[in-house]
Amino acid sequence: MDDSPVAGWIKDQLLSLQDFTLLLARAFQNIFRRPFYYDDVLQQMDTIGVGSLPIVMLTGFFTGAVMALQLSATLAQYGQIERTGDLVSISLVRELGPVLSSLMVAGRNASGMASELGSMLVTEQLDAMRALGTDPMKKLVTPRLLATMIMNFFLTIVADICGIFGGFVYAVLAIGLDARQYWSSAFYALDFHDLVQGLTKPVFFGIIVALVGCYYGLKARGGTQGVGRATTQSVVTASLLVIVSDFVISRLLITFLGH
Amino acid sequence: MNGLARSPSLSSPERHGQADAVICFEDVRLCFGEQCLFDGISFQVSKGATKVLLGEAATGKTTLLKLALGLIRPDAGRIWVCGAEVTRLPEEQLFELRRHIGMVFQESALFDSLSVRENVAFRLIEEQRHDDAEIERRVRIALSFVELEDAIDQMPADLSGGMKRRVSIARALISEPEVMLYDSPTGGLDPITSTTIMELIIKLRDVNHVSALLVTHRLQDAYLMATHVWDPAANQLRPALPDASHTSFLLLRQGQVLFDGSGRELMASRDEYVHTYLS
Repeated sequence: MDDSPVAGWIKDQLLSLQDFTLLLARAFQNIFRRPFYYDDVLQQMDTIGVGSLPIVMLTGFFTGAVMALQLSATLAQYGQIERTGDLVSISLVRELGPVLSSLMVAGRNASGMASELGSMLVTEQLDAMRALGTDPMKKLVTPRLLATMIMNFFLTIVADICGIFGGFVYAVLAIGLDARQYWSSAFYALDFHDLVQGLTKPVFFGIIVALVGCYYGLKARGGTQGVGRATTQSVVTASLLVIVSDFVISRLLITFLGH
Repeated sequence: MNGLARSPSLSSPERHGQADAVICFEDVRLCFGEQCLFDGISFQVSKGATKVLLGEAATGKTTLLKLALGLIRPDAGRIWVCGAEVTRLPEEQLFELRRHIGMVFQESALFDSLSVRENVAFRLIEEQRHDDAEIERRVRIALSFVELEDAIDQMPADLSGGMKRRVSIARALISEPEVMLYDSPTGGLDPITSTTIMELIIKLRDVNHVSALLVTHRLQDAYLMATHVWDPAANQLRPALPDASHTSFLLLRQGQVLFDGSGRELMASRDEYVHTYLS
C-alpha cells in the first residue's frame, strides 16, 4: 500500500502543503524581523501595482460595461432597467472587482515571481545570497508578499471604480439612462458589508498570489524547462486558489457579517 | 567571531584535538535516499592553509563546500567552521557565520539584475552599517585586487566568463573573510585566465592568510597552489620551498577520503587509484 502510486501522490501533496504552510509562516514572521527591506517593498509595489494598473483598469471597465449590457436586457423584462447601476456596483464591489483584478495580478505577477525566483534558484543565485549572509526569504519573499497584499487592495478599488464607470458609459450611451440616476443607484446600493467583503478579499487573494508565485519559483527543478513549468503551474494554481478561496471567504464573511 | 552567539555545545573543536583547525569535518555522513554521497568523512584545514579537493565528477566536492557553509545539513557527523559548529547552528546564526566565509561558485552566481558594483557591495549593503563612501571605497579595493576596477558599472551579462569569476572573488572577499571556499574557480576558462585566477587565489592565501577549501578538476592548478607562493616584492608568483605553500590535498572516492596529505605524499602514493587519477 505504501508504495502504491496513490499513496505516493497523497504523500507528495501533503509534503507540498507542509512546505507551503512553512513558507507562509516564515514570510509573515519576517515582516516583524530585522532587517527590513523597505526599498525592496517599494520596488515590488511599483512593479506589481503600477505595472498591473493598465490591465486592471481595462478589465474593470469592460467587465462593468458588459455587466450593464447583460443586466439591462434582463431588468428591462421586469421594468426595472433603472436599477442597472445597483446591480453593476454590487456585483463588481462584492465579487467581480476583487476576483478579476486578482486573476489579472496572478497572471502577470505570480508568473513573474515564479520565473524570477526559479531562474535565481537554478543559477545558484539564491545559494549565493545565503552564502553572503542574506536570507532569501526575507529579501525576496516577504517584500513580494507585502507589496502584493497592499497593491492588490488598491488595484481592486481601481477595478471597481473603472467597472462602475464602464457600466455608466454603456448605460448612458447605449440604454439612455439618466447619468444622475445611474450614479445615485450605484452609490446607494452599496452598504458597509459590501465594502468589507469587497476590500477584505483582495488582501487574502494578494497573499495567495504572492506566496504561490514564490513557492513555485523556490521549488523549480530541472533547469530552464523546470522554470517554465513552475511559471505555468504558479498561474494555474494561483488562479484556481483565488476562485476557490473566493467562495470560502464569501461564505465566512456572510456568516459573520450577515447578507 | 563577532556577533555570533556561542553556547558551550557550539564551542570550537579544541577539545577534539584540533586547536588550529579553521574547518573541521568529523565523521560526516550524507545520503540521498539509499545512496550515500559521504560515508564518514573526516578532515581538517588549519588556519592560513589551503586544502585542495580532488575527485572524479559526482563525488560530492561541491556538496562538501555547501556542507561547510551550512547550505546543506549532513545526516550525521559534525562540522566546525571558524570555531562554530555549523551542524548545530540555527539558520539565523548561520547567516551571521557566513559573513565570515567567502564562496566562489562554479558558475560565478552573480546577481544578474545588479551591476558589478552592486554585486560586490551586496554584503556591505546588507549589513546596513556602512555609509556609501565607505562601501564605494571597499568595492574599489576589492575590484582592484582582481584587476577589474574598470568594469565597476558593467552588468554581469556584459562580462566574459573569466571576468565573472574575478568579480565573484571580489564579492567574496569584500568583507575580508577568514575562510574562502572555491568551487572550480578555473572551470571552463582558458589557460591564461585560469592562471590569473589561480594567482589571485595564491595571493589571497599568502598575503591575506585566508584559509581555503579549493575544488578543482585541473591538476595543474592544484600543483601551482602547492609549488608556488606569492612574492609581494616582485608582485608575482615564485617557486616555493617544500611545505612553504601551506597547501595539502584531499582525494575523494565513493563517499570516502581516499587520500589526505601533502603534495609530496600524494605524488609518492602507491595507491593504484591515486596513480590512475594523477595520470
